[in-house]
Amino acid sequence: MVKHKAKVDERECLSCGGCISVCPVDAVFMKNLRAFVDQSLCIGCSICVNTCPIGAISLEE
Amino acid sequence: MRYDVIVVGAGPAGSVTARFAAKRGAKVLLLERRAEIGIPVLCGEGVSQRIDKWNILESKNWIANKLDGAKIFSPDGTKVTLSKEMAGNETGYVIYRDVFDKELAHLAGKAGAEVMLRSEVIGLVKEGDKIKGVKVRRMKEDFEIEADIVVGADGVESKIGRWAGIDTTVKPNDLETCVQYTFSNVDYPTDYGEFYLGKKIAPGGYIWVFPKGDGVFNVGIGILANFSKPGLALKLLNAFIEKKLPDFKKGIPLRLLAGAVPVAKPVETVRDNLLLVGDAARHADPITGGGITTSLEGGRIAGEVIGDAVEKQRFDRERLAEYEKRWKEAFGQKLLRNYMVKEIMLDFDDKTLNMLADSLKDYSFEEFSTLSLLKALVLKHPTLLMKLKPLIKLSEKKMEKKI
Repeated sequence: MVKHKAKVDERECLSCGGCISVCPVDAVFMKNLRAFVDQSLCIGCSICVNTCPIGAISLEE
Repeated sequence: MRYDVIVVGAGPAGSVTARFAAKRGAKVLLLERRAEIGIPVLCGEGVSQRIDKWNILESKNWIANKLDGAKIFSPDGTKVTLSKEMAGNETGYVIYRDVFDKELAHLAGKAGAEVMLRSEVIGLVKEGDKIKGVKVRRMKEDFEIEADIVVGADGVESKIGRWAGIDTTVKPNDLETCVQYTFSNVDYPTDYGEFYLGKKIAPGGYIWVFPKGDGVFNVGIGILANFSKPGLALKLLNAFIEKKLPDFKKGIPLRLLAGAVPVAKPVETVRDNLLLVGDAARHADPITGGGITTSLEGGRIAGEVIGDAVEKQRFDRERLAEYEKRWKEAFGQKLLRNYMVKEIMLDFDDKTLNMLADSLKDYSFEEFSTLSLLKALVLKHPTLLMKLKPLIKLSEKKMEKKI
């Protein structure tokens, strides 16, 4: 099975911080004032993907 | 570099904490990662007029408009009105949050706190388990700053709490995920705040319309994150404007912002050498999502407790627990009650909301507050809202005690 990881489109992110607050493994943080997913920690649960109010996060292989 | 206190984040809670700690003689550093305080705005910009009584702000520059009241619409459009006439003339303001935040930071600085911009905190400095300060990244340079107390005022996405071992992760059913437009040139003559409820309109949340005056409006949506899909909040808001708010379609969009509001139970807010305030402490109202009043109240308490701690040179959890005790007295009951109300209301389907609204459409409310709304609901529907009844009583008892 292919493992999916969350990725933030930094051109779209409005830096509300919602994804950071819901991440169960603390894999999301602010980098250059935009949300950024540390893919080595991401478990692909998609909670942040669904939380994003403007759809700026997607799951990628 | 060494300070008594480092406050991380210059939002309302951080600035007020810094100010009241500095006022009591503490050497305070207020760190903001952004280049400009108050920007970007991440807020619906509505606040209760109650804040006037606290004299925490000096100017009126942050007030965009004073509301005539609130109109709450159930899914079928039934309207419940809370107007200033029935609410003792005290309603709410629509504010310029950027101006508001700048004034509070200014007042922190005037009280003696040092304010540092573009300074991102990237970790805590620890000696064993003991917190000794923060690691800061500033213009590509990393360095450490020592302090006896670190205050996490770093918002909904707070890392300070997590780094200190407090589990601040917000569950998706405890987070409102939001977007908001600011439109100008809107021909929609009202000075009421409007709230639209419904599972299809805004699942687990609501759509709001806040008039800022001169044809400028904030129109936003918050939905519960566990009902959210990628980009759903924005899609629902656009669809609602398209269908129900045609006057806004003709408006000029000046701003689109996203936001996230914790509608959670408050977390543990004190450790040795550490406090959490504002959204980082989950000090936002679980029903309305409002967090400014609690941030100001909580920040002031935090600042005073820190001032005392510095004077006595005691920074242990037992000493700082005074902060937790005092914010629980000030608004802890209310947050807990409204959390339980939120949970109960999530079970209401659209039909129930329509029925409840219908029973209140001509009701004369005693004041402009969610409590007066809840009281009216309990009065009208004692059996349906049986679970609410003890919660309302609880808070009334609390109020009596205060008097």
